[in-house]
Amino acid sequence: MADNLPSEFDVIVIGTGLPESIIAAACSRSGLRVLHVDSRNYYGGNWASFSFSGILSWLKEYQENSDIVNESPTWQEQILENEEAIALSRKDKTIQHVEVFCYASQDLHEDVEEAGALQKNHASVISGNPTEAAHSAYQPSEDESLCTVSCEMPTEQTPSSDQETALEINDVEVTGEKEKRYDDKTHAKSASEEETSENVPIAEDTVLQPKKNRITYSQIIKEGRRFNIDLVSKLLYSRGLLIDLLIKSNVSRYAEFKNITRILAFREGRVEQVPCSRADVFNSKQLTMVEKRMLMKFLTFCMEYEKHPDEYKAYEEITFSEYLKTQKLTPNLQYFVLHSIAMTSETASNTVDGLKATKNFLHCLGRYGNTPFLFPLYGQGELPQCFCRMCAVFGGIYCLRHSVQCLVVDKESRKCKAIIDQFGQRIISKHFLVEDSYFSENTCSHVQYRQISRSVLITDRSVLKTDSDQQISILTVPGEEPGTFAVRVIELCPSTMTCMKGTYLVHLTCTSSKTAREDLEPVVQKLFTPYTETEIENEEVEKPRLLWALYFNMRDSSDISRNSYNDLPSNVYVCSGPDCGLGNDNAVKQAERLFQLICPNEDFCPPPPNPEDIIIDGDSLQSETSEFSVIPEANSETPKESTSLGNPEETSQ
Amino acid sequence: MSMEDYDFLFKIVLIGNAGVGKTCLVRRFTQGLFPPGQGATIGVDFMIKTVEINGEKVKLQIWDTAGQERFRSITQSYYRSANALILTYDITCEESFRCLPEWLREIEQYASNKVITVLVGNKIDLAERREVSQQRAEEFSEAQDMYYLETSAKESDNVEKLFLDLACRLISEARQNTLVNNVSSPLPGEGKSISYLTCCNFN
Repeated sequence: MADNLPSEFDVIVIGTGLPESIIAAACSRSGLRVLHVDSRNYYGGNWASFSFSGILSWLKEYQENSDIVNESPTWQEQILENEEAIALSRKDKTIQHVEVFCYASQDLHEDVEEAGALQKNHASVISGNPTEAAHSAYQPSEDESLCTVSCEMPTEQTPSSDQETALEINDVEVTGEKEKRYDDKTHAKSASEEETSENVPIAEDTVLQPKKNRITYSQIIKEGRRFNIDLVSKLLYSRGLLIDLLIKSNVSRYAEFKNITRILAFREGRVEQVPCSRADVFNSKQLTMVEKRMLMKFLTFCMEYEKHPDEYKAYEEITFSEYLKTQKLTPNLQYFVLHSIAMTSETASNTVDGLKATKNFLHCLGRYGNTPFLFPLYGQGELPQCFCRMCAVFGGIYCLRHSVQCLVVDKESRKCKAIIDQFGQRIISKHFLVEDSYFSENTCSHVQYRQISRSVLITDRSVLKTDSDQQISILTVPGEEPGTFAVRVIELCPSTMTCMKGTYLVHLTCTSSKTAREDLEPVVQKLFTPYTETEIENEEVEKPRLLWALYFNMRDSSDISRNSYNDLPSNVYVCSGPDCGLGNDNAVKQAERLFQLICPNEDFCPPPPNPEDIIIDGDSLQSETSEFSVIPEANSETPKESTSLGNPEETSQ
Repeated sequence: MSMEDYDFLFKIVLIGNAGVGKTCLVRRFTQGLFPPGQGATIGVDFMIKTVEINGEKVKLQIWDTAGQERFRSITQSYYRSANALILTYDITCEESFRCLPEWLREIEQYASNKVITVLVGNKIDLAERREVSQQRAEEFSEAQDMYYLETSAKESDNVEKLFLDLACRLISEARQNTLVNNVSSPLPGEGKSISYLTCCNFN
């Protein structure tokens, strides 16, 4: 295991977010020798997903604000006279204003730990039966970190802390009984959880009887590995660039997807379902016959709006929402089209943008189901990993927990020629892809970043209850005042493999105007009730209860011009972190653009040979291999010229 | 071979330290070869072999680590929809045995809890250099409730047996699941695969 890294590559990729991973896969697929490193011990950077214990240690890191300065061998002495170094950052500064609240009752005296949690210094005691082990608690080595998180709570939550303590005591008294019930449930789960398809009705579970069987914090901890909590909340447009790329490159074989089952809207204090497909419109109970006809007519027009310029040409100068008012649509329908289908706001889009967005939405409908969106099972964090697997299959070398101290630049040619890693090893390469967060303040001093406000909630039921409790929903809540941004809410059910049974995982996202909590808490309060305020047993509680909530701001480095970074050599390419948008087109476009700079005229992620074809003839494998090894040589010189010719952003000095 | 030409399809995933002979096991079984050198697996995602067991055609899709174990950087998604895991160590390498608990933790974290795990001690052709006794390995596998087998990819000892026994077990598990759950898929990923290559559903 203590292998040394090879000392020469064609491409070194630093960071394992989605764009970096796609580029790594594409380069490796085209025969380049790729080294792909990440300083963290997980894949994905800000695109990662975490189990519950994983997210706790992630946020602990940001709350502690620790300066991890483990002195590595000094690289300065390695820099020769004709070289310069660009030091990379040692600390991630992309996450801010992390706040966490726990509303579920906490039995702090109980030693709980996530079953099967991966910890560095964990004594390796694994009990007899692997299945049993998954349900039994371990030694409380993670306990301390839990305490720091939960102790935070009273200070953050001063107004209701009294109430909370009272509740806690209450719960401790019934712990025994509760635990028993809980045990039964987990066993039932291991038998049934894996077959919870949309069509299979699930036995009555906690969702239907929240009063009897409330989820406690220790249950969440124990079942922590059922959670896959995404740092970014996105969906795949079923005809978007990422789906096309996944299919074309065959990377789709590494992942599975679920359809978003419904589009929701929040109007006049109520959550309601938006009919968008033909079937939805016809089946809708909330629309009148007249409305159904209006909506169908309008949507049919949008599908091919370009063919009827006379219908919208006169309105090109006004906003989409003004345009909708001129159409034969009730206010109800205008709202649906504007916020839930075009997913824009009163002021943000003009008529043509709105029509385009509506058309795109309708175009994606029906490819895989009743809504235009797909979600990857186990979370968005799977996707970068799938591309990394593809890269590795074609020979790419992977190294997590591996940091890079600096880039070495040749003074004369102004090209980057190597990196120096944490062990002081110098690794030569022709191209360097660096994710934005790895650059130091010196490099980014002129960069103006935007921010994304994020919240992750664990709740006990859906925002809109229906017959099926396995719904995956997207809801857009328009900004309240001018200048505030619409909040995108994505609610995931357990069958997406991102949360434990009896809970829902809710992601909120918007462009930041203030801190994440300031931006998003008003929406959270509209849609949910804190667990503590709903103690009256007989009262029918309409809103879902919050069990746990996390807020944080993430730096948005998308759309930053390369010129904003100081003194980057032409063979150092910048990959941005996640953008705020719903789809992944931005990442794919960026990856393809950068790939074309490195490998001009190469096909971007062509389908790999079918494994079954290779098996049939052992010799074809050999020829395949040797063919690939020739490609890098042919390519190695060309990119230099074309980067300086073809890239308009290269003009900076 | 047409896509429908089998009764069962299972995904088997190999894990274990670098250099313990994972790729050799796969190639011995699927191609009858013992590759002398490494690195010949570029571009090969998984290998396929269809075997017949009691008159039923079983297609085994066997996935290798693609070298990501070298620096302990295996992607979680690698484990996700595996029906069986073959956890391999080298009987001539104590270190590869000592790492097993770490591998088991990864399995527990990322694999389905219905996954069948087999522990394999490879390289018994090098018996004179053995560092891990059979008894130790047996005790360990028993404690972890795993099946255990010693193999030689080089001499082809127990390689067929390893995969065929595993296939039998997978068939009987799949049958049981179908009976118990009355569903056609034994897999955790009940989601859709988006291409038409539906590699992970068995018919």
